[in-house]
Amino acid sequence: MTRLVNHSGGDPAQNLISLIDLPILNGLPTLDVQMTGVEHRKPGAVAWTLAAVAGAVVATGLAFAAVSAYVTGRAEDNIRNVLLTHRGLHRYIQEVMHPTFFKAQGEQKVALDYYDPIIFSSSHIVRVMHGFYNEERVKEGRPPIYYKIASDNPRNPLNKATPMESGLLRMFNEDKSKREYRQEVQVDGKPFLLHAMPFLETGQACLRCHGRRQDAPLGLQALYSGDGGFNEQAGVIRAVEIIRAPLSDERQAAFLATGAFLGGLLGLMALILFNTRLRSLVRDRTLALEGEVQERLRAETEVRDLNRSLEQRVEERTTQLQSANRELDAFSYSVSHDLRAPLRAIDGFSRALEEDCGAKLNEQEIDYLKRIRRGCGRMGDLIEDLLKLSRSARREIEPRDLDLSQLVEEIAHELREGAPGSKAEFTIQLGLRGRGDAALIRSVLENLLGNAFKFSSKAPAPRIEFGSMSLDGRRTFYVRDNGVGFDMAYADKLFGAFQRLHTTEEFPGTGIGLATVQRILQRHGGTIRAESMPGQGSTFIFTLGGD
Amino acid sequence: MEKYILLVEDNLDDEALTLRALRKNNIANKVVVTRDGVEALDFLFAMGAFAERDPTDLPEVVLLDLKLPKLHGLEVLQRIRGNAGTRILPVVILTTSSEDRDLVESYRLGANSYIRKPVDFDQFMEAIRNLGMYWLVLNQSANGSGGGR
Repeated sequence: MTRLVNHSGGDPAQNLISLIDLPILNGLPTLDVQMTGVEHRKPGAVAWTLAAVAGAVVATGLAFAAVSAYVTGRAEDNIRNVLLTHRGLHRYIQEVMHPTFFKAQGEQKVALDYYDPIIFSSSHIVRVMHGFYNEERVKEGRPPIYYKIASDNPRNPLNKATPMESGLLRMFNEDKSKREYRQEVQVDGKPFLLHAMPFLETGQACLRCHGRRQDAPLGLQALYSGDGGFNEQAGVIRAVEIIRAPLSDERQAAFLATGAFLGGLLGLMALILFNTRLRSLVRDRTLALEGEVQERLRAETEVRDLNRSLEQRVEERTTQLQSANRELDAFSYSVSHDLRAPLRAIDGFSRALEEDCGAKLNEQEIDYLKRIRRGCGRMGDLIEDLLKLSRSARREIEPRDLDLSQLVEEIAHELREGAPGSKAEFTIQLGLRGRGDAALIRSVLENLLGNAFKFSSKAPAPRIEFGSMSLDGRRTFYVRDNGVGFDMAYADKLFGAFQRLHTTEEFPGTGIGLATVQRILQRHGGTIRAESMPGQGSTFIFTLGGD
Repeated sequence: MEKYILLVEDNLDDEALTLRALRKNNIANKVVVTRDGVEALDFLFAMGAFAERDPTDLPEVVLLDLKLPKLHGLEVLQRIRGNAGTRILPVVILTTSSEDRDLVESYRLGANSYIRKPVDFDQFMEAIRNLGMYWLVLNQSANGSGGGR
């Protein structure tokens, strides 16, 4: 492009020559290469651009040359027409007017020494007539055309040759075979086409007026006081006809036309280039997209396969789980049934022994039997709690809207009924509702309230509280007591199965209740934690899922 | 015909304890014991080893364990209810199972009562006492032979 700008103002032919050296032709075949691979696109594009620009410049050069030739040709035609007209006029003057004049002199209709350039001097008449011609041109908005019959020895100083015109006159005199001369010249920085022709070779007849002064008609002598126009010799070209037509306007038009042509061509080329780049870009993008689509399809297939295998694994795992669940079911059913039967036998027959043989047994023997029965009772409770824990894990959750306050009220009532001597005081916040499985949430509350009831039973004024509060934006429920409490160091053991922080003698229990509570709450999507200090009571804070 | 109880129980310990509980509660009725589900049905329908029996001589109440050899207690119950002669025979489920589904299923199949055998013998005694009082003393049986002391 830089080249183009540099050359656009110069000689088109020069542009052509300088561009032919460029490796345009080497660049052209890479057009195809450019289409096949991304790595080749850059050099291909450069070569193509160069070729395109060179082509445009060549075309512009040719166009400019053609337009210039046409413009010059037209200027020449104009000049020629003007010349031919003027020459015709000269001839009319010389071949019609002069003989008529001489004839009239011969017939003595005109005085022999009469002379007036207005009717006799062809150069005068043609100059005047050319003045009118130029006036008419200017009226039409055209630039005037310079016309002069230049002579080194003019009668009228207006016709005095410039040094350049003198040179031309000399040239024509030295080489008589030369009939014309044409040259582009600069006048005041503007281009003109100059046309010069030998005007007149002095003949014997001419010498009458152009020979010696004293031989010329008296009128002529009187009119021209100097020696200008006299003393000519026959066979010498006396004057040269100079005509100069401006080229600037036509040149301007040629420049504009070719500039527009080049601009259009370059624009077109830029468009084609852009289009090619765009197409290649679209193609690349399409390929990339197709690749992406393929990739996506592949990923989708992978995901589908993965899903299938996952589904299969889930199915297998579900089957395994179902089978495990069935086994667990059978196991707990068996535990529920078979493990309790021997216990019942031990307890029952111990009781029978006590009843039937009580009289024969001493106090210690009766105590032994009581211990056997207490052991049976504890084991029975343990089995019962274990079954509850197992059920809490297996049971299908059926969430419902529950009146928790009401549930707590009922449980508190049951607890008080079960321990008529208790002084425990229940404070229950009213209207607390939550969502969960009725039986399982009841089990949770039973455990928590049962614990609170149990562990506060030794306090002077047992107090048990159920309420709700908002913690970190979540609705939580709490069961608080003023019982023995526990050391927070053991808090993590609290919710493990069979974990107890007190001896059975202090507080009876199996250590399964809180494990069951935690499992139920977890299955609801909830949590539970405890806060306590020894002797300061405990607070169990829980959430139900979904709040 | 003498009022009697049919006890379907495979566990000898439980049998002895049940009998003791009945005796201790002054329920002096005769107790017929069958050891499994098939034997219980044979007895009730007078089939197999009991073919000579009068099928209309039915017990006042059947105390039916659930976990039984050969035929499960629930199936026994279903067969009892499926037979025209025993359709309204009082059947009390007496079992160790505390599974909810056993309880639900028992009532669905037409059990008259469901009693869990507790580990604690004193509680067991209490349960048997209530049971005897209701089914043998207070209940007016449909075949007209029950009721009254």
